Amino acid sequence: MVPPKWLLIARNQYRISTSAIRRIRSYFLYLAIGLLAVYVGIIAPAIVNPFIDDFLAFIITHAAVPLVQIMLFMFFFFMILFPISDTLRELQTAQIEIFLAAPVKPSDVLLGEFLGKMPFYAIAIAVLIGTFTAFLTPLGLDMAQIAIIIPVFVITFLSAFWIGVVIAAVLGTKLGKIARGKDFGRALAVIIVLPMIAVLYAIIGGGLPEALANPGTSQMVRTALSVLPSSWSAEIFVGFASNPGDIGAVGFQTLTLFGGLLIFFIAALWVGTKVANRAYSLDSSSFTSSRAKPDGFFYKTIRFVGGSKSFGTVLSSIFKDYSRRLENLSWIIYAVGLVVLIRVFISDSSSGPFDQLMFLSMMAIPFLAAFVVGTVSRGKDTLFIFKKSPSGIWKFVKARLLQAWSVAVPIATVLIAVSTILIPQIGLEILLINVVWGALRVLALVAVVLGLAIINPIFAEESRERNMGIIINLMIILFATIGFEIGLSRVGLSFEKMLPHLDKFTAGVFDHLLLTMVFALVGIFLLYIGIRKLDRIE
Amino acid sequence: MNNKSKKVIIRTDKLSKFYGKGNEIKAVDELNLEIYEGETFGLLGPNGAGKTTTVRLLNCIIKPTSGTATVNGYDIIKKETEVKRVTGLLAESPGLYDKLSAYEFLEFMGALYDVPTDILTERIEDLLKLFGLYKRRDYLLEGYSRGMKQKVLIASSLIHDPPVLFFDEPTSMLDPRAALMVKDLIKKLADTAGKTIFICSHILPVIEELCDRIGIINQGKLIAIGTVNEIIAKTKTKTLEEAFIAITGGVEEKELLGWREQNSGTP
Repeated sequence: MVPPKWLLIARNQYRISTSAIRRIRSYFLYLAIGLLAVYVGIIAPAIVNPFIDDFLAFIITHAAVPLVQIMLFMFFFFMILFPISDTLRELQTAQIEIFLAAPVKPSDVLLGEFLGKMPFYAIAIAVLIGTFTAFLTPLGLDMAQIAIIIPVFVITFLSAFWIGVVIAAVLGTKLGKIARGKDFGRALAVIIVLPMIAVLYAIIGGGLPEALANPGTSQMVRTALSVLPSSWSAEIFVGFASNPGDIGAVGFQTLTLFGGLLIFFIAALWVGTKVANRAYSLDSSSFTSSRAKPDGFFYKTIRFVGGSKSFGTVLSSIFKDYSRRLENLSWIIYAVGLVVLIRVFISDSSSGPFDQLMFLSMMAIPFLAAFVVGTVSRGKDTLFIFKKSPSGIWKFVKARLLQAWSVAVPIATVLIAVSTILIPQIGLEILLINVVWGALRVLALVAVVLGLAIINPIFAEESRERNMGIIINLMIILFATIGFEIGLSRVGLSFEKMLPHLDKFTAGVFDHLLLTMVFALVGIFLLYIGIRKLDRIE
Repeated sequence: MNNKSKKVIIRTDKLSKFYGKGNEIKAVDELNLEIYEGETFGLLGPNGAGKTTTVRLLNCIIKPTSGTATVNGYDIIKKETEVKRVTGLLAESPGLYDKLSAYEFLEFMGALYDVPTDILTERIEDLLKLFGLYKRRDYLLEGYSRGMKQKVLIASSLIHDPPVLFFDEPTSMLDPRAALMVKDLIKKLADTAGKTIFICSHILPVIEELCDRIGIINQGKLIAIGTVNEIIAKTKTKTLEEAFIAITGGVEEKELLGWREQNSGTP
């Protein structure tokens, strides 16, 4: 018997998804199930155990329903985003051509792709359900309640993944057809998660739980979110948690909400299969391509900065290639967004200038340096353009350094200035000091990150690998900042100890300047090693 | 004119490039070659024979494991910068800045080779007109077809007007009209401008039409060299294609449909 097409596509998708772990593919599912059983049975209860008393107190408050609603909405939204950002990162239309050329219905393609990734979605869902049920079990829920809450979560999260897969198929096909589509998709994949990070930070440090304790606010949020299916699960969850062992107390409500969830899931499946026919199409939607404008004041200045001769042209070309990539711009937006969110929700807005120094040093500047530098070159072939030309590698690294400085320093200056101005009763002197040392630190850290990036160059076109490289470089400079700060202090190179008469802020500034100098030296060393490495790459 | 009286522009001396643990992969194996001034030389070989590695070695993009070579009198190991200045390269899988326009890309390439600005502007315009890209000069390369990109890349290899040109598959992505134009251009570059041209191609008619001499490389070794007629005569075949197959080996005719006879059922 010939298996259905969706099953063939699902098998193929599973093979693709597990290609990195093909050696353990045959027993991967058993391994995953075993690990999940350990998590659900042992690890999750151990994690939630310390919080169970707080949870019991919380579940009877006004804030319980809206907060669980918000949390489930976040998970719901993340699960929609996951397939979308996965698809947008690497837009592929070549595979669609294979499917369209074969006797396969578009709905089979969509269903096949969804089911092929299902094992991974199932793992994520199992982890979440395990965590939520770990909170419920100590409350004394009966078997019927447990038997209901599990499918409730499964249906909720599966709906989210399905919606994500459908949107990803539509977006992927639409964007894959236009010249800038890949770039647009990658840019979107970077910043799409920022709104959820904002909600997360608001919960962690923005006083959202406290605000929800107010019955008026709580009711408002509850009503606003009630249209979302994730909120229906939240209502069932809180209903059971408030009435453990008494399913009758919330029987009608549970039945209504569960029924609503089921109808929503079936409707989503039906709409998705209908949308699939529109999603998979290779009809070109646009034949327009972007046009370069004549160099304006900005690029003329860049050429001037580069010496107005050949190197000026190289620098402005590198700059154009950087700034015309939406993905690069979205990394900058992401970095600025993160810094602003941390400043607004996490960092204490009434903190003094010294704490500001720490925040800038530990968070804002490393983020900006890592995300602005990004990866070095898209493909080895691009690097070969420079390798082929006389002194090309040196010109390339010099141009990338100047380009990264030109982007990072102005942004950092504005961020630092705004962040410092927000400190109550701050003087102009402190503002200037923060801006100057911050700009110097950016110069040094950009050199360090670029050095790291060229020592371990990532030539892959795939965003996943390039993003991983960026995150690794970010981690290195974050830990290096912390390590150097502690290290210099341990060896006695702390101005607070060396010059005790200095006030805390001044000593802190000197410490940061010293650290900046260390980073500058490290940066020069890494760039030197990196240039030698690029010279040897074949 | 006799080859012996001509100036040697490219000379390789046991040029080798090995990869892998213990150098077991011999990409180029003791290559000895002489290419003369104004000559158009074609390097033929099956996939993975070592053609692109040879081109990369001669352009100082990679370093030889052993042996050496000179290009226009410059040693590829000791005079890397000079070699790069006197060569132009159209790579097999070239890097391209998709976010630059054709004009900007050529301007960038010219700057990399230190072409003076006053000459560069005029040269870019001439090349864009020559390749029929002038009207689209301000469009970003991401919107160009593969053939148009290939034209831009050929133009970029000529931007610093080097005496030695390396073309790795110059016509493979071009439509017949553009391919004809490129072939005419290569002929003109050799005949009128006196350029020395080194072509790697799988398209045998292109090689046959353009090249004064050809070399056939297989598994890193140069296994035949001479004019097309000399190689055909040496292999006792009638065409260059037959000669190429005779030298490098091929699939026998009876094997071609063997798979079908074994499984005659069709869906």
